[in-house]
Amino acid sequence: MRVTEDDLHALMLRSLDGDAQAYTALLTGCQYWLKRFFDRRMTGAQADDLVQETMISLHSKRSSYDPTRPFLPWLAVIARYRWIDALRKTARANETELHDDTGIDSDEDVVSAQLGVMRLLDALKPTQASVIRMVKLEGLTIREAAEKSGQTEALVKVNIHRGIKRMAALVESE
Amino acid sequence: MNMNTQNLIEQLSADLRPVTPIRPFSGVALVLITALLVALCTLVIFGGRADLMAGTPNPIVVIRGSLLVLLGLATSIAAARAARPTHGAGQNGWMWALAAALVMPLVAAMLFCYHLLTATPFKHGDMDFGYYAHCFGISVTGALLIGAGLTLWLRRGAPVNSVRAGWLVGLASGSFGTFAYSLNCPSNSIYYIGLIYSLAVGVCAVTGRLIVPRIIRW
Repeated sequence: MRVTEDDLHALMLRSLDGDAQAYTALLTGCQYWLKRFFDRRMTGAQADDLVQETMISLHSKRSSYDPTRPFLPWLAVIARYRWIDALRKTARANETELHDDTGIDSDEDVVSAQLGVMRLLDALKPTQASVIRMVKLEGLTIREAAEKSGQTEALVKVNIHRGIKRMAALVESE
Repeated sequence: MNMNTQNLIEQLSADLRPVTPIRPFSGVALVLITALLVALCTLVIFGGRADLMAGTPNPIVVIRGSLLVLLGLATSIAAARAARPTHGAGQNGWMWALAAALVMPLVAAMLFCYHLLTATPFKHGDMDFGYYAHCFGISVTGALLIGAGLTLWLRRGAPVNSVRAGWLVGLASGSFGTFAYSLNCPSNSIYYIGLIYSLAVGVCAVTGRLIVPRIIRW
C-alpha cells in the first residue's frame, strides 16, 4: 500500500483531534514506510522491532508534530532517532554474536544495508573497522578476532564499542 | 501485515486522545516568566544596585545585562524549537548571541594581558573578588530554577539531539540566572564580569550538558 505525503498529513491532523479511524489508517501507512526505512538499515527481526518502537514513539510524542509542516520528514526524524538509539544500545551491550538474518525480505535491502555499513566502516580507524568486520559481519568470536587481529581481547571489545559509537555519531551528523 | 504490528496499531488507536501540539512559544514564555520571577526574588531578597534603582544605571550594567538577555533569549528559543523534530532546518542563530556574549571575557583577557605586558597597575577594585561566592551562588541557584522549568517542558516534546538541547538549556538558564544576579551585583569591573559571570554561565552550560540529556531522552 502506498500513501502520499498529503494523505498522511491529513490523517495526522485528524489524529491529533482524536479521530481513531484516521489514526489507524495513518499507522498502517506508516508501517509500510517504516518497514522500507529500517530494512535498508537493520536486519530482519531488528527492523521489525524498530518499526514497532517507532510507532510507539510516534504515539507518545505526537504532540511534537508541527501541523504546518509536512508529515514524512517528521516521521523520518523520529525513525532515525530510534535507529541511532538502537545502534547505541548495541554498542553498550557489546554483543558478540551475529543477529539472525532470516527475516530479510529482499536481496536489495540486504545489499543496501551492507553498503551503508561498509561506508561507515571506511570512516573508522582501521583497528576498529577490522574487528567490527570480524565479529559483527563475519561472525568470529572475540577471542578469534583477537588472535586474527593481534589485539588483546579487551582491546577488541573496546574497539568494537568505540567503533559502533562512532558509526552512530556519523549517522547522526549526516 | 505482521500480526503483532497490527495488534499494536489497534492498541494505539484505542488509546488515542486528542492532543494540542506543543508550541515553542510556550517554552520561551515559561523561561521568561521564570526568569522574571527569579529577578524579582533577587531584587526583593538582596536588593538592587543603587544606580539601577535610581534609574541611572552605569553603562556597563546595561551592556552586560543586554548581552546576557540576548544570549538567554536566543538559546531559549533554540532549546524550545528542539522540542519538535525537524529535518534540515538550521537553528544556529544562538551561536551569534554566544559570540557576542564572549566579548566581555575576551576584552577582560586582553586588558589583563595589556596590564601584564606593560606592567600597568590595576585600578582599585578591579581585582576585588571578595563577593564572588555570593555572586556565583545567586546566579547558579536562579539558573537551576529556570533550567528545571525548561527541562520539564522539553520532556513533553521530542528533542532528537539531547546533547545539544542540554547545552542550550544550560546556557539559557545560566544567562538568565546571571542576569538576575547582575541587577544586584555592585561590581563594574570588566575583570569581574569577564571571569565570574562567564564562570557562572559556563558552569550552568556544562551542568545542563551533563544532566539534561538523561532527563529528556525518550
